[in-house]
Amino acid sequence: MTQDLLLERTRRHFFHDCAVGLGAMALANLSHADAMKLPNPLAPKPPHHPARAKAVIYLFMAGGPSQLELFDYKPKLNELNGKPIPEEFIKGKRFAFMDSFTKNVPLLLGTRRKFKQYGQAGTWVSECFPHLATVVDELAVVRSLQTNVFNHAPAKLFMNTGSAQAGRPSMGAWVTYGLGSESDNLPGFVVLQSGPRGPRGGAPLYGSGFLPTTYQGVPFRSTGEPILNLTRPNGLSNQRQREVIDAVKDLNAVRLADTGDPEIATRIASYEMAFRMQTSAPDLIDLAKEDRRTLDLYGATPGKPSFANNCLLARRLVERGVRFVQLYHTEWDHHGGPTENLTTTLDRVTREVDRPSMALIRDLKQRGLLDSTLVIWGGEFGRTPMGEIRETVGRNHHIDAMTVWLAGGGIKPGLNFGATDELGFTAVEDKMHVHDLHATILHLLGLEHTRLTFRFQGREFRLTDVHGHVVKKLLA
Amino acid sequence: MRHLLLAALLALSGNRSSDAADFVRDVQPIFAKHCVSCHGPEKQRASLRLDSARAIRNGGSSGPAVVAGKSGDSLLVQAMLGLGDAKPMPPKGERVPASEIELVRQWIDAGAKGPANESIITTQIGSEHWSFQPVVRPLVPEVKEVAWPSNGIDRFILSRLEKEGIRPSPQADAVTLLRRVHLDLTGIPPTPEEVAAFLADQRPGAYERVVDRLLASPQFGERWARHWLDQARYADSNGYSIDAARSIWKYRDWVIAALNADLSFRQFTLEQLAGDLLPGATLEQRIATGFHRNTQINEEGGIDVEQFRVEAVVDRVNTTGAVWLGLTIACAQCHDHKFDPISQKEYYQLYAFFNNSDDPKLELVTPELKQKRTALQAEVQRLEQQLFAIERLNQETLDRWVNSLSPEVRLEFPQRLQTILNLPPNGRNAKQVAELMAAYRNLDRLRHVTGSFAGPLQTLGQLHLYRTRLNLERSIAATKRKIPSAETTLVLNERAMPRPAFVQIAGDFLRRGAEVKPDVPAVLPPLTVQKKPNRLDLAEWLVNGRNPLTGRVLVNRLWQVYFGVGLVETENDFGTQGTKPTHPDLLDWLADELVRQDWSLKAIHRLIVTSSVYKQSSHARPDLRTVDPRNLLLARQNRLRLEAEVVRDVALASSGLLTRRIGGPSVFPPQPDGVYSLTQVPKNWVADVGPNRYRRGLYTYFWRSAPHPSLTVFDAPDATATCTRRNRSNTPLQALTLLNDTAYLECAQSLAVRLLRESDTTDRLSRAMQLTVSRLPNPREQSLLGQLLDRQRRALAEHPAEAQALVGTTALAGVDPAEQAAWVQLARVLLNLDEFITRE
Repeated sequence: MTQDLLLERTRRHFFHDCAVGLGAMALANLSHADAMKLPNPLAPKPPHHPARAKAVIYLFMAGGPSQLELFDYKPKLNELNGKPIPEEFIKGKRFAFMDSFTKNVPLLLGTRRKFKQYGQAGTWVSECFPHLATVVDELAVVRSLQTNVFNHAPAKLFMNTGSAQAGRPSMGAWVTYGLGSESDNLPGFVVLQSGPRGPRGGAPLYGSGFLPTTYQGVPFRSTGEPILNLTRPNGLSNQRQREVIDAVKDLNAVRLADTGDPEIATRIASYEMAFRMQTSAPDLIDLAKEDRRTLDLYGATPGKPSFANNCLLARRLVERGVRFVQLYHTEWDHHGGPTENLTTTLDRVTREVDRPSMALIRDLKQRGLLDSTLVIWGGEFGRTPMGEIRETVGRNHHIDAMTVWLAGGGIKPGLNFGATDELGFTAVEDKMHVHDLHATILHLLGLEHTRLTFRFQGREFRLTDVHGHVVKKLLA
Repeated sequence: MRHLLLAALLALSGNRSSDAADFVRDVQPIFAKHCVSCHGPEKQRASLRLDSARAIRNGGSSGPAVVAGKSGDSLLVQAMLGLGDAKPMPPKGERVPASEIELVRQWIDAGAKGPANESIITTQIGSEHWSFQPVVRPLVPEVKEVAWPSNGIDRFILSRLEKEGIRPSPQADAVTLLRRVHLDLTGIPPTPEEVAAFLADQRPGAYERVVDRLLASPQFGERWARHWLDQARYADSNGYSIDAARSIWKYRDWVIAALNADLSFRQFTLEQLAGDLLPGATLEQRIATGFHRNTQINEEGGIDVEQFRVEAVVDRVNTTGAVWLGLTIACAQCHDHKFDPISQKEYYQLYAFFNNSDDPKLELVTPELKQKRTALQAEVQRLEQQLFAIERLNQETLDRWVNSLSPEVRLEFPQRLQTILNLPPNGRNAKQVAELMAAYRNLDRLRHVTGSFAGPLQTLGQLHLYRTRLNLERSIAATKRKIPSAETTLVLNERAMPRPAFVQIAGDFLRRGAEVKPDVPAVLPPLTVQKKPNRLDLAEWLVNGRNPLTGRVLVNRLWQVYFGVGLVETENDFGTQGTKPTHPDLLDWLADELVRQDWSLKAIHRLIVTSSVYKQSSHARPDLRTVDPRNLLLARQNRLRLEAEVVRDVALASSGLLTRRIGGPSVFPPQPDGVYSLTQVPKNWVADVGPNRYRRGLYTYFWRSAPHPSLTVFDAPDATATCTRRNRSNTPLQALTLLNDTAYLECAQSLAVRLLRESDTTDRLSRAMQLTVSRLPNPREQSLLGQLLDRQRRALAEHPAEAQALVGTTALAGVDPAEQAAWVQLARVLLNLDEFITRE
């Protein structure tokens, strides 16, 4: 659908469904309630088929978590620790930081982390995730995910947009384009960030590409002003702000009557939603309104930015009808060295993520939201079973195997899906590709990945390009 | 010799034994049955034909189909058997029977020979598709309402409307029209004085005179440069994850200057695509090649540099295809184009043109700069010579000094120097002598400070020398600091040795297919230069007047800016999947006019804005709602929301804050805190104070990983790929920006000050409307604004703190703060009106 067709639909909606004829422009006296009925490009749209999930919370672990330290238990790898990797594994393969692997045959690196099986599903989880281990029976752990690209920024783009080059719409944009949003006072697609820095790639990771910007992710900050320019000018009361917006509305309505351009009606509606956001967004980020037990469950401290706070915010967003929430948490790169190692760095980042992810699952469950909320945890690629030698030994980027987990929203709980070879080098059982993950996410939301298209540059584009299969075995 | 020849003949005849397959008899029928429908005269999937032995040996995108004498190594056989990396062939339907494959193998093993005089059916790559046909100037149609048309454009539009029985709309009122043409040509609204002058000018041609004035104003270049910069994917940073700053604003300024000078689009094209290859290329022509240096650069650790060089070249091919040809050439990167007659091989032939550049940074040394530099460098040299004269140290002096050092004094030297000192005078190498000299000089200085060490020179003379030297050193450093560093910009530079180019199988740069030479798609007219064509020849080919696409694509892009939608709605797809032109004859007439006018862009701009169709009212018409709901027939104008940069420009212009300086490095207007919470490397954004704080939107520094939010919110493209048309969204975030952003509050404050200073109480309200939306308020608006002012005056008098906050630092002496603040509120209302950010 082209942009103009889209506008046209909005217009038609306005004229037909709102029963406001051009001649009868009584809009000069438009009430707030009426304004809410005006066309909203984010209005909920019906799915292609009945949806299992209504919302998505995507916990994006930026940097590429090491599956071999967390979920993919490989006793054989430990046994062969320090031995060169057999040549057939790496012949003709390309890696990031090629030099470190071409000078000498890379040596296998066993993990120092202790693994145990948990839950009825007997899911292997390492000591890094003691809290998450208590909810494994809610998760489907996928150990066989593969991707195409091994540098951070292009790999993050690929994971988010299905293309390693910038310019395509992100997953969240596709979903809000396809389904709209249930919220009329918050954006449909919200992005949150924690960790020492932002993810490599920046705005294109949650951009709308060639889709209208209405669908792009809106970054929310967990302290201060949650949305850029949300706060009215310093020292101005809400009443004065309202008076400005009312006057704008009245004058816009006069112009609407004069010109008959329905875009003006949309603009009036935009100002109304903007005004509502000025109240709803600060209310949303005010975690002090949560009870003690909930805060403790997440390990959240109001006013102190953290992954825990963002997980709690994610639940609050979904409760309010937001369609797609994406949390970035950085510092998952483990090449080795003082700041990106498999010991202290990994300890810190897993400690930051462990309890809140568990809490999110439990909290959603006890509020009856888990069934309709799809939670996804994962990074942009996996790590090699071979050590990468820097100041200390770490692991390199790896595209042939990575672990992600999914929960809720129609995912089969307590599932262990896919497996890698005995060294953890490549997925061998139930191989799943990033495009398949995308197809499956859309499927759970009631969208057919082959039908969710947008016409651009002469052809229909999709999140899954010309690839992707729904992974039926993951569905409950 | 004779024996050898004989042996070869024997071997040959041996191979021609009765069981060897004959091409015509045994092999050709197999291909005819299974393959030729896709790989023959009609279709050439993967640029491969299998209808003659010669074509088979030449092969297609993946390289030669056979290796003569080695059937096992032949792609053709591998594909038929479904072995190796080759995609099994035929892709659908029956497999080729084993016996037939065996015949093919025998033929290959025997040398894959065909008949000596093999006849080949030549195919003409052709297409009936409209956009590939030459532009032929159509006759201007006859119309009934002869009084309506102002120029040729109108007769095409009107003739179609008359056919449909639709009447065009009346001309927009004078103020709306003036505001429209000001915004369209310059992006700056008319001042109230300009409005008054236009209304007062009753002589014929008043409007045309305005158009000429605007086309000649430097703001024209700024306004239209932005459209071109969208297509050029211009930004001030490298993109990807690190997104470091880059300096390429000189290219942006080149575009502004070129458009202002009305450089013909022909020359505009040649200089941007191949300025470096023009004979005697000037500095400006080299700057122009920055067009294709706007590709991103990945500076992340651990990347394969070649991979991202290839990505940049791919982007250059795709961008050239989209910008000049309006084709989705990018589709053929991984496979033959599914819909348009462009093969994957042809994609890489285009790629070959762009594969041979180096990507240097050009130092822009102007003659003045060069002169200044030379002078300063000469001065440095003169001072250094003086210093050298003082510092001259010959072997004799050094020896004398060394000899004068007592063993005790020597012990105070560092160990390393002690060793050197204790060597015999002729036993020191050059490096050691230099170290000693350095020690002597340093010591000299040190002694001065500490008073220790005995020396060979007298203290008084030493002191004088020391001071002279110190002064000289200071002058040298100061002069060096004065040497101006040159601006730099990114340019293309053709390599002396071209890189070979290959088809990249499935678009993967690691999988090489057949080698290709630079060439253009066969469906389009051929290159004029056949022998070793380069980028310049490609550029020439685009603008030689015979290319059926360039002109059509260009005039369509200009048209879409004036009407919101192009005559071809899919402005980036003139291929078979694109929409057909609504007015094909008009499109061709304009494309032909462009060439006739020597590719003058200003001529086309003038033609469009002086047409009656352009000048129509944009009011909605109930009678058109069902017959032409999308207004494609143009029985009226369209209301169009202003572009992101222009939203800023009109606010600055209305409030009187706008700094009208043209060009220069990008600037840093204020932006809200927290923009960089989601970038890997936070950017240092220190808002400008002074005139640069209020520059036009197109000068705002553009970080690809975190563009200025007010640009993104109003649909500015992200500069990661070419953008040939912007979206126009309408969102709450836009409302929040205009309501709350510091930049817009400053505009409102300034507008209030302007109103209070420049106009008296009786016409202040009218003046406010004129400054913002150019027109006077109607009675309803007058009363709404009056009520607003009264309410604000009362409320703000009761809440002086709020009045204070609204006035901020702009308080006027002798003006009641509540009164001033009420005008700030009114100004905020006007800056938030839909009409304010819309071209009507």
